[in-house]
Amino acid sequence: MRVDRLVLEDFRNYTRARAEFDPGLNLIVGRNAQGKTNLLEGIYCLSGLGSPRGPDSSLVREGAERALLHAEVARGERRIEADLEIRPGRGTRALINKAPAPGLGSLSELIVSVFFGPDELSLIKGSPEGRRRFLDDLVVKVRPTRDGLRREWERTLKQRNALLKSAPRAAGKQVLETLEVWDEALCRAGAALTAARLSVLADLMPFVAKRYEGIAGGGEIHLTYDSSWLTGDLVMESLAHPRGIDQSVLASELGESIEKIRGKELERGMSLVGPQRDDVVIQLASEGSDAGLLDARLFASQGEQRTSALALKLGEFDLLAEVLGEQPILLLDDVFSELDPSRRTWLSDAVRAAGQAVLTSAEPGAIEAAGSGNVIEVVSGQLRAG
Amino acid sequence: MYAGPVQRLIDELARLPGVGPKSAQRVAFYLLKIPTAEATRLSEAIVEVKEKVHLCRICFNVSDEDVCEFCRDGRRDRSIICVVQEPPDIVAIERTREYKGLFHVLQGAISPIEGIGPEDLRITELLGRLQGNASDPQVSEVIVATNPNIEGEATAMYLARLIAPSGLKVTRLASGLPVGGDLEYADEVTLGRALEGRRVIGG
Ligand SMILES: [Zn+2]
Repeated sequence: MRVDRLVLEDFRNYTRARAEFDPGLNLIVGRNAQGKTNLLEGIYCLSGLGSPRGPDSSLVREGAERALLHAEVARGERRIEADLEIRPGRGTRALINKAPAPGLGSLSELIVSVFFGPDELSLIKGSPEGRRRFLDDLVVKVRPTRDGLRREWERTLKQRNALLKSAPRAAGKQVLETLEVWDEALCRAGAALTAARLSVLADLMPFVAKRYEGIAGGGEIHLTYDSSWLTGDLVMESLAHPRGIDQSVLASELGESIEKIRGKELERGMSLVGPQRDDVVIQLASEGSDAGLLDARLFASQGEQRTSALALKLGEFDLLAEVLGEQPILLLDDVFSELDPSRRTWLSDAVRAAGQAVLTSAEPGAIEAAGSGNVIEVVSGQLRAG
Repeated sequence: MYAGPVQRLIDELARLPGVGPKSAQRVAFYLLKIPTAEATRLSEAIVEVKEKVHLCRICFNVSDEDVCEFCRDGRRDRSIICVVQEPPDIVAIERTREYKGLFHVLQGAISPIEGIGPEDLRITELLGRLQGNASDPQVSEVIVATNPNIEGEATAMYLARLIAPSGLKVTRLASGLPVGGDLEYADEVTLGRALEGRRVIGG
């Protein structure tokens, strides 16, 4: 899988830019704040998953009504054109070969990329939100047809929250009647999303473990799902046998938890339990230490955290390569300068083994380790072939 | 900001669904250029639709008479009512030629975000029709054909809970409709199949 050409219109700081990529290594160079990252971001956005840097309203260039992203993609023998139109307040539209696509999931089917940026440490020590996003994006990358799960869940949650918020002002009986309907919808959407998360986490685990052992030269990494409404046993059982996850069991667990907390929810005017509060817990065991598994967020050294983040991302890459039967596009945003020599070697080996990779750096020296390739220079929103 | 009347037109246009401030401006300046006769025709059409067209007293479909064509038509099957969100959904279902029963238009779907609860929809009137009266004496099945999205599903579930205890059969269109979409945009083959494969819900 590769992107041969990318055209950006009114995207971030680009008025109009066109980049040609090589099938192998591509190096984007230029000083800081010229728009290097925005190129990688453009490729990631074209996979239909939003910005890798999180929800952002400034994807559209200031003063423009919408942003247009266009890519020419090669999958095996197929050549496909993909277009994404971002219209703030009016939604995002996708075209495939110039025809309207039924949803953004069609783009996720076409373009799959792994993004690794300078603040990936936040994946380990940041808020649960980042880890949920990592998992939810991976769900779609592995199975694009599940693209609707997160949206459906978020919309249902928003509806239920709006109802809970309006409850004190409205007539009691009718609110409670409607609330039961939204409870049921919430349980169903929440169970579907959680089942997908658990299943993709189970799939990811062996790949991350293998990468971690390799990079750390020993020790052990363990990923688990932390949830206030699922029992630890059910989580363990689900991760051990992801094909046997029963959504109706998850839905009734969530239903019971909601039942217990509904009074408080009505008081506070919002939903207080469900997948919106879950987290992925990353635990490490060092070689030769008998402390057992420790929470990486709290107890790991900076170095161990960097190794964990790298293992998660490379594990994601390996899982996708296996599922897709071809390598996803590797997007590395200014990561080499952050790494020490040994981790740098691991990453550059991964880049060399990858199919198409697009790297940015402010210091050309920092990516020399990865090898030579197509060079694109960015100067304040203008591109030059190097 | 433009001079009084121009700005007023832009503001009014911008309130229409799907029209942003920029397109409102574009339409306003287009209207400024057209001949007066053409503008008069447009404004008269708007006034006429407000004066002459109203909602059917029984099913709340749009109608130029007190009771709409479907409710008046003696050849329709009066034992079955298809519940939809908006009048265009009726047009979509009629296109399939699979359905010969009556309709009921809710005039929306439950959506707490927009402040729309069951009391804002034509649900009480639907329940009235189901209890049997002169115009609907023998209803035995209610097909809930709300949109296949979150709000439409929630409305369907709500109706099923309300109606099922009365012993009436409540059915929902079969899945296969594009999820998240509006019924009115579904093609007639898919919609026809969804009607045929409807399943019992609630109870
Ligand atoms: Zn009528």
